[in-house]
Amino acid sequence: MKSRLVVTPNRCIGCRTCELACSFNHAIDGKPGRSRIFVMGGGFKDLWVPVTCLQCDDAACVKSCLVGALRRNEETGAIELNQDKCVKCMACTAACPFGCSIYDSGQDQVVKCDLCGGDPACARFCPTKALEYKPIAQVKPAQVKVKAVG
Amino acid sequence: MVHLTINGQVVQANDGEMLLDVIKRMGIDIPAICQHDAVEPFGSCRLCTVEITKADWDGWKNYVTSCLYPVADGLIVNTHSETVNEIRKTLLDLYLARHPNSLFVRKLAAEHGVTKTSYEEIPDGDDCILCGLCTRICERMGFSAISTVGRGHSKEVAPPLKEAPPDCVGCLACAQCCPTGHIKFSEEGASRSIWGKQFEKIACSKCGKLTITKEFADSLSETRNIPREYFDVCDDCRRKEIALTMGRLAQWSREEETV
Repeated sequence: MKSRLVVTPNRCIGCRTCELACSFNHAIDGKPGRSRIFVMGGGFKDLWVPVTCLQCDDAACVKSCLVGALRRNEETGAIELNQDKCVKCMACTAACPFGCSIYDSGQDQVVKCDLCGGDPACARFCPTKALEYKPIAQVKPAQVKVKAVG
Repeated sequence: MVHLTINGQVVQANDGEMLLDVIKRMGIDIPAICQHDAVEPFGSCRLCTVEITKADWDGWKNYVTSCLYPVADGLIVNTHSETVNEIRKTLLDLYLARHPNSLFVRKLAAEHGVTKTSYEEIPDGDDCILCGLCTRICERMGFSAISTVGRGHSKEVAPPLKEAPPDCVGCLACAQCCPTGHIKFSEEGASRSIWGKQFEKIACSKCGKLTITKEFADSLSETRNIPREYFDVCDDCRRKEIALTMGRLAQWSREEETV
C-alpha cells in the first residue's frame, strides 16, 4: 500500500461532486444516489463530512465475510469485493461500523469503495481537496491507522 | 504457466487452473449453472462440457466438464463443436422433461434451440435441478444446515429430517445463489421464514430499518469476533454517526484555528 485516501471535513463545501464522480465511475446510470461516498451533515453550520470506506486495517467487513469475497488489494490498500464470490448474505453491510458497505438495489449487489483501483475519482474531482489520495509518507501518522475492531 | 488452444486460439493459463476459468476469461459464453466462485467446482449440471484433444491423441477426443478439468500443456479445446452442442442439447432436453415449469430451464433451453422436450414430461416437476449449489454454499458459510437427501427420483435438498434446521441462521445465501430460484422464503415485517424456520430480523435501534437476522448476527459475532453491538445500528445511521463524530473533531480544529 503506497497511498491513503485522506478526508479533511473542514475543507468540504458540500458540493457533492465526489458523489457524482463516484456514481459516474461505478453505477450503471450515474445517479448520485448510487454512489459509494456520502456527503453528510457534520452537525455544525457549514460543516459537511464526506463519509466513505476508510479501508480499515482490521476490517469488520472482511471478518464478517464467510466466503472470502472481501480481500485487501495489497497494491492499492483497498478492500475489494469480488462480485463473483459474493453470496449476498448482507453480513458486511450489517457489520461495517461506518455503514460504508452498502446494498445497491439497482444493480442487486453489495457495493463498497475500491479506491477506483488506485486512482479514486472522488479525490480527483474534489475542488477543495477535502478528499486527497496522498502517498503514505505525506500522511500524518495519526491519520494513517484506522482501527475498526478492537 | 501452460499453453493451450481454445477454439483455435492459443492462450496462457496458470498451473492448476480449471478449464472453465480460462474459457470465461476469454469471454467465451458457455452455460455453467452449478458453478459459483465462492465454492469449489462440483460438475453436477454438466452443461460446461467441452471437447478436448491433444496432438498426440491420434484424433481421439474426450468430453469433460470444464469446471473440473485442470488445464494442461498442449490441450486443444473446442467449446462449441457439433458433438458438444449435441450433448448440451440432450442435457437441456432432459432438464426440460424434469422441470417443465421452470422459467429458468425453459429460457436456457430455448437459448440453445430446445423448446420442447423429446422425453416424457413430469408435469408437476419442481424447479430444483439438484445442482447442490445451495448445500455447498451453506457448507462454505460454515452452517451446513441443508443437504441433499434421498437417492434417485426422491433426491431433494432439505434440512435434516425435513424439520426446521437448527443450524440455519436465515442468511438467505442459499436462496440468493439458487440458479433456478427454487428456494423459497417469505418475509413479513421483521420476521423471515425459510426452510420451515422462523427468524426475527434486527431492527436498527435508531431508525428501525431491518437488517440481518438475530441468529446470523449472533453467529457472526461469536465465530468472527465482531462486537455484537455493531449489528444493532443500520448502515444509514452508522454513516450519520460517523459524520457527526468527524464533524465534532473538525469543529474543534476549526475553533482552535480561529482562536
